Amino acid sequence: MSLSFYSWARSTAAWRISVWTTVGFSLCSAAAFVVMYLLVARDVQRRSDAWITGEATVLLEVAANTPRDTLDTRLVQEVAELASHEVIEEGRPNGQPRQSVFFLFMRYGHDPVWVGPEPRALFMDALAGASGQPGLPSSLTVPGHPLPFRVVWDKGPAESRLYLGFADTAANAMMHRLVERFVLIWCAMALIGFAISAAGAFRTLRRVEQISETVGRIGTEDLGRRLPEPQADDEIARLSRTFNRMLERIQRSVDQIRTVTDSVAHDMKSPVTAIRGSLEFALIHGNSEDWRERVADAVDKLDRLSQTLNTALDLAEADAGALPLKRESLDLGVLVGSLIELFQPSIAERQHKLHYKAEPGLFIKGDPSLLSRTFANLLDNEVAHLPPGCHIALSLRQADGYAEFALEDDGPGFPQELRARVFERFVKGQHSSGHGLGLAFVHAVVQAHGGCVMIDDSSSGGARIRIKLPMTMVSA
Amino acid sequence: MRLLIVEDDDAIRTFLERGLAEAGFQVDAAANGLIAEALAVEGVHDALVVDLGLPDIDGLEFIARIRDRGSTAPVLILSARRSVDDRVRGLEQGGDDYLTKPFALAEVVARLRNLLRRHSTQPESSRLRVADLLVDLVRREARRGDRLLQLTTQEFALLEFLCRNAGRVVTRTLILDHVWRMRIDPATNVVDVHIYRLRNKVDVQGVAPLIHTIRGIGYVLKLL
Repeated sequence: MSLSFYSWARSTAAWRISVWTTVGFSLCSAAAFVVMYLLVARDVQRRSDAWITGEATVLLEVAANTPRDTLDTRLVQEVAELASHEVIEEGRPNGQPRQSVFFLFMRYGHDPVWVGPEPRALFMDALAGASGQPGLPSSLTVPGHPLPFRVVWDKGPAESRLYLGFADTAANAMMHRLVERFVLIWCAMALIGFAISAAGAFRTLRRVEQISETVGRIGTEDLGRRLPEPQADDEIARLSRTFNRMLERIQRSVDQIRTVTDSVAHDMKSPVTAIRGSLEFALIHGNSEDWRERVADAVDKLDRLSQTLNTALDLAEADAGALPLKRESLDLGVLVGSLIELFQPSIAERQHKLHYKAEPGLFIKGDPSLLSRTFANLLDNEVAHLPPGCHIALSLRQADGYAEFALEDDGPGFPQELRARVFERFVKGQHSSGHGLGLAFVHAVVQAHGGCVMIDDSSSGGARIRIKLPMTMVSA
Repeated sequence: MRLLIVEDDDAIRTFLERGLAEAGFQVDAAANGLIAEALAVEGVHDALVVDLGLPDIDGLEFIARIRDRGSTAPVLILSARRSVDDRVRGLEQGGDDYLTKPFALAEVVARLRNLLRRHSTQPESSRLRVADLLVDLVRREARRGDRLLQLTTQEFALLEFLCRNAGRVVTRTLILDHVWRMRIDPATNVVDVHIYRLRNKVDVQGVAPLIHTIRGIGYVLKLL
């Protein structure tokens, strides 16, 4: 039982939170009470001191002013008894002698005057051992009396001495009751505090527990599940929302991966079938000339296939944030210029006109190999998809801290239905022979460089692609 | 020319052994780093083909080890990883070369030949001659017979590369890599158009054609 309680207590943060809250709260309130108690006790003592010094003065005056005769001691005693009656005493039945006040008046040649509890010898002994300044109250412990007495003494006329002692039992009893009640209230407070904090903590952490249960039940098959999102805007609600957003992202990636694997599988089917067919045909029929033709055809198709695979893998790496950029400082103009030199003959062969305009000194930090492939992709697109005789305008310019590469043509433009999804994988025009990964690759590379790609219509109704890449600051 | 192939994948090793033997090389092969190291340090090989993913040792470490033990033969690295990391690119600057899988046999052959040519101790001639084609690397001009060819800078660079590899098939990616210094793989026939233009200037009517297309593989410059 105790073991299972222990392991349960270890497994729940709510328990620990409430225990520590209660302990902290109880310690603080106890400390506050102790401070208060000490203040009250000091006040009580001051009050008793004031009383005994006052009474002692009065009694000394009485002793001094009374004519010396046999009755004067009697008078002093009467006054002392009268004074002692001012004291309220706890738990004393009427008629019993007072236990909390004593009065002693000693004079040479006279019996000492004693007003107070008996046996007086105990008090005499205690007083004989006491020291202190006349007129200043001090504490005195008398055997048989639980409370120490506050005692003041003073010199009277004719070498007489007057002692006055007082133990404030009423105040003491009050203090006692105060402690008792405090302990009671304190225990109740601790219990209630513990109950409240435990209830709060358990209630809150139950929600966390629910979240962890729900999340635990979400498998890859039912990624559509979501946590209930509470109206409140506290930490737990935020946790739920964060979880839901994370699930959203995971679901999107998983969906995308499924699309990619489906598309790859689908896109590979037809070339693989065609390649197989070609080779089969060559095997069964044909002379060596036929063979060459068909095998060469198969090799072409395989090259396309491995190109698709490579780009798909690059994209997968980019998605995983693992596209390794080997950044170096490079002049975009030089890079694009050499690509244009490479593509110019192909562009001219299709009777396109290429206009190239570039601002000099566009330095960026980028991976030359990935950026070459990116721009080559776009130029490939122009070469492959434009009807003959188009105008292509390529420009490089600086635009608020970015180097902007703009490629526009007066061809048919992007099909409207593809516009929103051109950067997704395997999205391609109906008549496109490409693998549908080119623009997705462009997008991934540009994003990895901290830039952006925009697609819209050119002024002549064709397509326009703009790529912005952050420039490196060149000190003037 | 004797080669050492270090590749643990049986299918690829066998295919490389056969293909490279067919291409006229003498071929040794090893399936793991241990055997390969013992063979490599004999110093009898002119070039090595090394797969990065060996079962017992990292390919780059293997290369570092045989270099430590005195092997100077150029290495063609085969990498299954698409993103070739900086260390491999670094090796490329050190005179070696790399290819990512999947690759074409012709590509391997072409790159090996290119590596071997660069590594050969014979002094580079300042003139290249193939049949009646003469390429003067100092004066940057090319002649076919007595006819001076009017070539653009790029066409000259392309012709120079073809001449340096005269008689050997060069692939499109190899051309892009060495003439344009770009590791790209265009989907359109950009290289073919350049070759076509160059051919129009080099192989005019009435002379024996020198530039030939090998379908599905690449180009070769030679007198048939």
